Amino acid sequence: MASQEIRAAVKDYIMEEFLPGEDPATVSDSTALLSEGILDSIATIKLAAWLEDHYGIELEAHEMSVDNLDSIAAIAAIVTSKLEARG
Amino acid sequence: MSLELSADQKTLRREIVAFARRELGPGAGERDREASFSRELWQACGRMSLPGLCVAEEHGGLGLSPIDTAVALEALGYGCEDGGLVFAICAHLLACVVPIARHGRDEQRAHYLPGLVDGRLIAVNGMTETESGSDAFAMSTTARPVPGGFILEGRKTFSSNGPVADLALVYAATDRAKGFAGGVTAFLVDTDSPGFSSGQRFSKMGLRSCAIGELVLEGVFVPEGRVLGGVGGGGAIFAESMNWERALLAASHVGTMERLLETAVGYARSRRSAGKAIGKYQAVAHKLADMRIRLEAARLMVWQAAGKLESARDASLYASMVKLAVSESLVESAMATVQVLGGYGIMTEYGVERVLRDAMASTIYSGTSEIQRNIVARWLGL
Repeated sequence: MASQEIRAAVKDYIMEEFLPGEDPATVSDSTALLSEGILDSIATIKLAAWLEDHYGIELEAHEMSVDNLDSIAAIAAIVTSKLEARG
Repeated sequence: MSLELSADQKTLRREIVAFARRELGPGAGERDREASFSRELWQACGRMSLPGLCVAEEHGGLGLSPIDTAVALEALGYGCEDGGLVFAICAHLLACVVPIARHGRDEQRAHYLPGLVDGRLIAVNGMTETESGSDAFAMSTTARPVPGGFILEGRKTFSSNGPVADLALVYAATDRAKGFAGGVTAFLVDTDSPGFSSGQRFSKMGLRSCAIGELVLEGVFVPEGRVLGGVGGGGAIFAESMNWERALLAASHVGTMERLLETAVGYARSRRSAGKAIGKYQAVAHKLADMRIRLEAARLMVWQAAGKLESARDASLYASMVKLAVSESLVESAMATVQVLGGYGIMTEYGVERVLRDAMASTIYSGTSEIQRNIVARWLGL
């Protein structure tokens, strides 16, 4: 699955679930989602649940970090790496 | 889908109730008055593996599923009149032992779990600070990397089992910029480590036989091998442990609610006023009917939440809902019992007022009712 496709799907989910009614142009692939407070702890868990369900992957406790979830680009990167590892 | 207990679950319940009545109940009033924690009773619980109900059998536990653990803790809450001891066991098991069992390395599990299960070791969860209660991630406790490990500095408060603990599960900031997601790390700290002390011990209105106090960390060296779940993994570990604590502490409350109901019904059937048992008066009977309904609803909610614990990402929603509903139900049922028993309800020798004092804390610890409502609202997308 192409990274760009994942980025688009993740952005659609975030806009619909956490930022309803907001202009999609306000969130880019590099917007800091966690460190800027767009996603709080519960939103992060909901996002992780969606990623696991949608892509059939599993995120470990230590992977629920700002390194992996702070931007759409970072999210797409960890999803891609999980999908590639699964083969 | 059957909602009846299996034969094994009935046996588990029966054995724990009998043990709790026989060994844990006597002296509960005295321990409450003196605010004394009993290590002897803790060790007795250890012989029943109560501090490690859901720990794998290879580490000495009973290997129970979350739902079976709920059945066991309900039995403990029902059979044990020492609410402080029940709370101490739950805090140890759910906020400390479960995280080690689920996230510990093989060496960590082998080193700590047998003692934590059989009653030799008592654990304390070090999260709350004076400036960060339910807002757990505004913490001031820090862990600074040094060769071979970390140096911990800080002070935790309202730590259940703190004054008597042998092991502390301490959460400390390792990268403030990352905050909740990746900036907090969980450390396994032996309480005899140089620089560790237990600080102030608090006096409370309820749960008085559970020792609660401060944890003081002054330059405590913790080796790398005592990081639980990886550097930065503390936020997720803590969040998961709160799911377990909120869902399964409520199981013990269900047991307490059943004991209260039996006490209140027994009194209402025997106490007579104006020629008939007071239970024949609707003003009393309706209170008891409401207690029964709250009991049944609470039990079902606990089982539902327990069933989510091992894998469901929405476990925190169900944990918050059950924690909120059952703790508030417990307070309502304790108040109703005091009211039905009238003068006897407020006499210390009957123990009902003690249950009410113990119950009052349940809407506060492990996240207040207000915080639980916030969490539920966030899951609604609000």
